[in-house]
Amino acid sequence: MRKPSIPKRPSELALFVLARLVVAGAAALILVPLAFMLSASFMPASDIVSIPYRWIPDGLRWKNYLQALAGNDGSWLYARNVLNSLVVAGAVAATTVAISASVGYGFAKFRFRGRNLAFMAVMATMMIPFETVMVPLYLVVVRLGFQDSYLGLILPFMASAFGVFLMRQYLLGFPDDIVDAARIDGCSEWRIFRSVVLPSIGPASATLAVLAFRQQWDNLLWPLLVVQREEMKTIPAYIVKFAAEKSADEGAMMAVAVIASLPVFILFLTLSKYFLGGSAVFAAGKE
Amino acid sequence: MKRASGMEGKRARWGWVFVAPGLLFFSLFSWYPIVNAFVTSFTNRKLISLKAPKFVGLQNYVRVLSSEDFWNSARATAVFAVGAFVPLLLLSLLFAALIVSLRGWKRPAQMALYSPAVLSSVVAALIWLVVFDPRGLANQALNGLFGTPGIDRRWLADATMAQISTIVVYVWKYVGYFTILFVTGMGKIPDAVNEAALIDGAGPFRRFFSITLPLIRPTTVLVSVMILIQCMKTFSTQYLFVQAGAPTGPIEVMTLAIYNTAMRDLAIGRASAMSMLLFAVMLLLSWLQLRASRGGEDAL
Repeated sequence: MRKPSIPKRPSELALFVLARLVVAGAAALILVPLAFMLSASFMPASDIVSIPYRWIPDGLRWKNYLQALAGNDGSWLYARNVLNSLVVAGAVAATTVAISASVGYGFAKFRFRGRNLAFMAVMATMMIPFETVMVPLYLVVVRLGFQDSYLGLILPFMASAFGVFLMRQYLLGFPDDIVDAARIDGCSEWRIFRSVVLPSIGPASATLAVLAFRQQWDNLLWPLLVVQREEMKTIPAYIVKFAAEKSADEGAMMAVAVIASLPVFILFLTLSKYFLGGSAVFAAGKE
Repeated sequence: MKRASGMEGKRARWGWVFVAPGLLFFSLFSWYPIVNAFVTSFTNRKLISLKAPKFVGLQNYVRVLSSEDFWNSARATAVFAVGAFVPLLLLSLLFAALIVSLRGWKRPAQMALYSPAVLSSVVAALIWLVVFDPRGLANQALNGLFGTPGIDRRWLADATMAQISTIVVYVWKYVGYFTILFVTGMGKIPDAVNEAALIDGAGPFRRFFSITLPLIRPTTVLVSVMILIQCMKTFSTQYLFVQAGAPTGPIEVMTLAIYNTAMRDLAIGRASAMSMLLFAVMLLLSWLQLRASRGGEDAL
């Protein structure tokens, strides 16, 4: 049944108009701080706190971006820290997908004793908040000697219980016949996983990769614990330090913010389906 | 489907092979730490100390529960969680109901509302740090709105305002995220139900309160608990604001207090006791959610 394009009943018409107005207003209001970040990133500090605020910068002050990357002391630490964030978030996304796919496949397509118990044991870890285990985790990483290293930043996030759940659910719907056919053709189990299963879990992998990447891009608490050396810090830790410096220039701060947001926004605009859908799937996983 | 038992055994072994890396990972990075945190919470362990930690019974818990700092941060967390929970839940419900009623422009609207959730928390806090500047946009907007001449509302200087500011940042960042969850929940309501009500002459408000709201009850329960649990884990905004000079007391939420106890005071035993208490509250919330959603299934 097709809905009429414009409702005739007065109450329906009022809702029709009101809904559009409220949604447009809310969207505009929510985008204001983002527009502010972008416009202020091209202004000298004095313009950013001018009253009234002028939204269009007088010129594009790229110097802010240079200062953001070079830092107040010209050490170029931020450039290095952005690279660290890319490495850590990228590696976490890759390992999370790989390990979750393997474990999810094991749980979905094999019968073995203790399977249900093992699955429950993995799922139960979803209840453990990171904040509760961060100190013992820190001690583990210290004992392994991985402070101030990529390994230390990546290790505790290499797999996620939610990822296992997602992959298992996805693979439960994967036809057994295809796996059996490959077996009859004489493929090894490993080969089946690599060349038959892995290529067919694209959407689940993308959802999971986006989720994992974002979580690490956002992570502040863990890098604060395990990293002391400035050059091993990731973006969030750098931003806190930069913002707290007395000499910090607001224009450069906003340039720092834009640079930190560019990679995730590019991901968001190209893969918005997995961002929006992923949130819903993530919530469904908690049900 | 009958197979030789040797074949079964071989397949079962492969199951373990695929599962093993995960089990190893979760044992080492989830189960071991939670057990360790539990045990440590009963010792006087220090971060940098050569002495072996001693078992001190419930001393950490007694000390934490009788310290003013702990209750202060419990209060800060509660104020933040409730203060963010109410607007987040109401606004995301409202936005979702409106977005569902749109025909075109659904996706751009969702993307616009969602976009702050893409930012990292620290970046969100950094933007608002500049917006909350005494001469910044926040003061200008309010003065423009109320026609007041140049009043500084001390967003980051006043104790209560600092709490409100952190809530503003959080609601701004996550309202779109929870809107999407409600949009998904409402999308599961069959069109026929709404059309039948429309034919029966039910107005938009009647439809929302008598159809939509009861039918998305499981989503509402889930989202409520997600919001509360997520709010209890808030850290970045408060940390950045404190580092940038905001008063610590009113926004020293539990995670910040745990971090400070462990890393500044080096009292790992006490920090573990605090984190176990936080864990207990979150478990309680999840349990309530489970009960409520089970109850919801009967109602459907």
